[in-house]
Amino acid sequence: MLKTKNFEGKFNVGLFVTTILLVAFGVVMVYSASSYSAQVKYGSKFYFVYKQLVGAILGVVAMVAMSFVDYHVLKKLRYPILAVSIILLLLVFVPGVGVESYGAKRWINLPFFTMQASEVAKFGFIIFASAYMADNYKKMTKFTGILPVLAVGAIICLLIILEPNMSITMCVALLMMVMLFIGGARIKHLAMLVIPLIALVPLLILIEPYRLKRLLAFIDPWASPLEEGYQLIQSLYALGSGGLFGLGLFNSRQKYLFLTFSESDFIFSIIGEELGLVGCLIVIVAFASLVIRAVNIAKKAPDRFGSFLAGGIASLIAIQVIINIAVVTGSIPPTGLPLPFISAGSSSLIVFCSSIGILQSIALRSHKGIKALGCK
Amino acid sequence: MYKTNTLSLLRKRLLVVVTSVASLFFILFGRLCYIQLVDGKELQAKATSQWYRDLPLTAKRGIIYDSCGEVLADNKDVYTIYVRPNAVKDFNAVTTVLSEILGLDYQTLYQKITAKRVSEITIKRQVPSTTAEIIKQCGVDGIYYAIDSQRNYPQSSLLSQVLGYTDIDNNGQSGLEAYYDKYLKGVNGMVYTETDIKGTQIQGTTLKYVPSIAGCDVSLTIDAQIQSFAQSAVNNALVEWNAKSAGMIVMDVNSGAIVGMAMAPNFDLNAVPRNDIETLNQLSKNTMLVDVYEPGSTFKIFTTAIALSEGVTNESAQFYCPGYRIVDGQRIKCWRYIGHGNQTLGDGVKNSCNCVFMDLAQKLGTDKLYDGLRNFGFGKKTGVDFYGESSGIMMKQSQVKTVDLARIGFGQAVAVTPLQLITAVSAVANGGTLYEPYFVSKISSQSKTVFVRQPTAVRKVLDKETCSLVSSMLEKVVSEGGGSKAGVEGFKIAGKTGTAQKYGDGGIAQGKYISSFVGYAPADNPKYAVLMLVDEPNSYAYYGSIVAAPYAGEVFRKIFDYKGMVAESEDVEYTVMPELCGLPLTEATVALKECGVYYEMDGEGKFVSSTVPVAGTKIKKNEVVYIKITDYS
Repeated sequence: MLKTKNFEGKFNVGLFVTTILLVAFGVVMVYSASSYSAQVKYGSKFYFVYKQLVGAILGVVAMVAMSFVDYHVLKKLRYPILAVSIILLLLVFVPGVGVESYGAKRWINLPFFTMQASEVAKFGFIIFASAYMADNYKKMTKFTGILPVLAVGAIICLLIILEPNMSITMCVALLMMVMLFIGGARIKHLAMLVIPLIALVPLLILIEPYRLKRLLAFIDPWASPLEEGYQLIQSLYALGSGGLFGLGLFNSRQKYLFLTFSESDFIFSIIGEELGLVGCLIVIVAFASLVIRAVNIAKKAPDRFGSFLAGGIASLIAIQVIINIAVVTGSIPPTGLPLPFISAGSSSLIVFCSSIGILQSIALRSHKGIKALGCK
Repeated sequence: MYKTNTLSLLRKRLLVVVTSVASLFFILFGRLCYIQLVDGKELQAKATSQWYRDLPLTAKRGIIYDSCGEVLADNKDVYTIYVRPNAVKDFNAVTTVLSEILGLDYQTLYQKITAKRVSEITIKRQVPSTTAEIIKQCGVDGIYYAIDSQRNYPQSSLLSQVLGYTDIDNNGQSGLEAYYDKYLKGVNGMVYTETDIKGTQIQGTTLKYVPSIAGCDVSLTIDAQIQSFAQSAVNNALVEWNAKSAGMIVMDVNSGAIVGMAMAPNFDLNAVPRNDIETLNQLSKNTMLVDVYEPGSTFKIFTTAIALSEGVTNESAQFYCPGYRIVDGQRIKCWRYIGHGNQTLGDGVKNSCNCVFMDLAQKLGTDKLYDGLRNFGFGKKTGVDFYGESSGIMMKQSQVKTVDLARIGFGQAVAVTPLQLITAVSAVANGGTLYEPYFVSKISSQSKTVFVRQPTAVRKVLDKETCSLVSSMLEKVVSEGGGSKAGVEGFKIAGKTGTAQKYGDGGIAQGKYISSFVGYAPADNPKYAVLMLVDEPNSYAYYGSIVAAPYAGEVFRKIFDYKGMVAESEDVEYTVMPELCGLPLTEATVALKECGVYYEMDGEGKFVSSTVPVAGTKIKKNEVVYIKITDYS
């Protein structure tokens, strides 16, 4: 096994600042996007932004706290964490505990806020997979070696799809593939997994026919501007209206109930409308820098577990950002996935902030170069 | 490729991940560039249409006045009542109040307002302000009011077919409301509001306001007073003669201005019967210029005038009537089957002897008669400012046979609109000038006159001498002949009666007549022409002299009173209706002649069976009476 040299790395200031800026920017954008709809729906224009602010504070606290915790604790706790994740996913279905919204049971009712179980599960999976792959990296080139990761991933996916939450399921499945890829699984084995998964898509459409309509709506939203195509058209209206420099902060017109979910899954459209292409570019660059920093931490991690963990976190952020922006720009079929750090939703915010804390913890323990990892 | 899982593999794979992420980010940025920069303007333009609500500011529709400034059509404030489900606190209360006050079904209304699909539900339009006030006083939340404008006709059913009506959005649908719609309706304004998706105005935004321009006011040549005389005449005629319909036109003979145009049956313009489209179309049709009819004897005025003008006859020309004429081997009867004997032209007009006019027509020949009739405007639209005018029917000139020519001479085998007829008669009355008839004399916008109609002379048809000659003959028709019931004591009235058989299914419709009278007064200085038509009188008589003439006389008398025209003093002689029942016809006619009364008769035979009025009635000399004859005494 590898030996760690304590605290050879440095505190990654860029990572910290970028995260804080994204979270703060998110709070402002949530306020801008939600103030009107919150006023209309809940009688207070601060309804969402208060929750987001609480999430942001808790998130920053969690991030700082996690950066002081040795990430190896997570490896030791991988089974309890996985167990908690799965229990939370199951709790969603318990009446009284699970909260149903828009026809799906995704939230758990907690005294202060509602928690989205799948947000925790995503990280539970990353920790488990990283730990397993680090311990069994030699087996990873064999198909049997990757089976435990697949099994855990499949269970989590199954529970999430039962909520139902198609987008998070896809997200977890994609995350699993990327992690296996990082973990050294053979391309041939991955291909054997991906091909049947693609074949699964028509089946999923058969189970819930509304998915096909959504699929068609993405190809030509103008064919049903008041039904399936509505949300995408409204998103394009927002982005298009923004132009190069945007209508100015707080000046969105689409937020006046035209674009639904404007504070959550479609917040990027409001960013594009208020701050234009320039604003979008800055946000994309911020996320890119976050991902690159996370991958660098993965490269310099003191051990395989740290490397896989950082790689997993980087992948998850990248996957969610890519899917979210692809959806709001009509590049892929519409599906609800929040933009990390920015979209309204405290559980997502807290968990993502914690993950940055974990990255920080890995960075603090990293070596000068990946060579230090070296044996073989 | 990789046998073992090395760290360099991990490094490479992380590089692959980061490169893939970077390129995906790059692609998405490219997509954003396309949406925001290339499609941006177009998308924003589309988005803008949903960001603004444009509320129309309806322009006030112009007012329609009569020739004296009396209001015939204006607007009244009404309310549109709607419900905003968001603002409703108690759906039951709202439904109860609205269903009871507006007379709507409770269940239907409740479902409508609780459907929750829309932010605003229109409950009822054109609710009177008093009703809206009652609803307001109930103080129920969620009911809203919008002020609207509804057309109002203070004279309700006067001029139904002439004024016409508008639809619920105040667009002219028929009559003058339709013809002058573009002047009356004005230009709608607009309020642009920045709103959310439900139409709620966004705080801090300003309204963009484009004011409306009120419609022009229109003044008619119709005199509401004279119109009401005409309307009561046709209403009475309809009832008294159990007729299918009745109509009257009053025209200013010196300009072609239509002073009155009344039809019965009619309807209340404030309560247009829209439920039955077919009935409504029938009721709202202006039959005075849309429908054509065979004019019968009234047409003899033109045959006489043309014949005199062309010099084919003169005042002293003699005619003999044996009761019929053989034309091209066809026997055509005079209405008086025992004949009129020897007559002058004037007698022929007074007696309305068909033989005289057959002779005149034949003397004229087709070409001259047709030229003359065309000059009078027959066979062509008059050009009146109204939609749907007919041009009448004249046989093709080349196809007119001698028989047809003879018939046209006394008003058969030709069809005209009532308006064509009175327009042509006005030309005779005014000394020979044919005018274009018209309804609208003035259009003004915000009390500035923008258009004044001048009488339009179409052409000179006759010279003055011919006209006064024809007038003097027509005067005798009223003073001594069949038009006597149109007479007014102390006034000289020129006129002619007409009784025409109706055609249906390609032949003569038995027992169906149009009885008419056309005349003008004062005969020596004519001002007004009146045409009275009774369609399918269904009573004891159908002659124009008995059925139509009295109403024209009544209207003349009222016009003279209303216009302050002074009667020439004249001694009226009275006589008593003799007992004629059972007498042979020859004796009866002698008795009537002795009394100095004129008569119409009906039936076939040699004995009088009944009379109107009955024996012993005090009647004026020169009055016309009615006798019915049979074969048995």
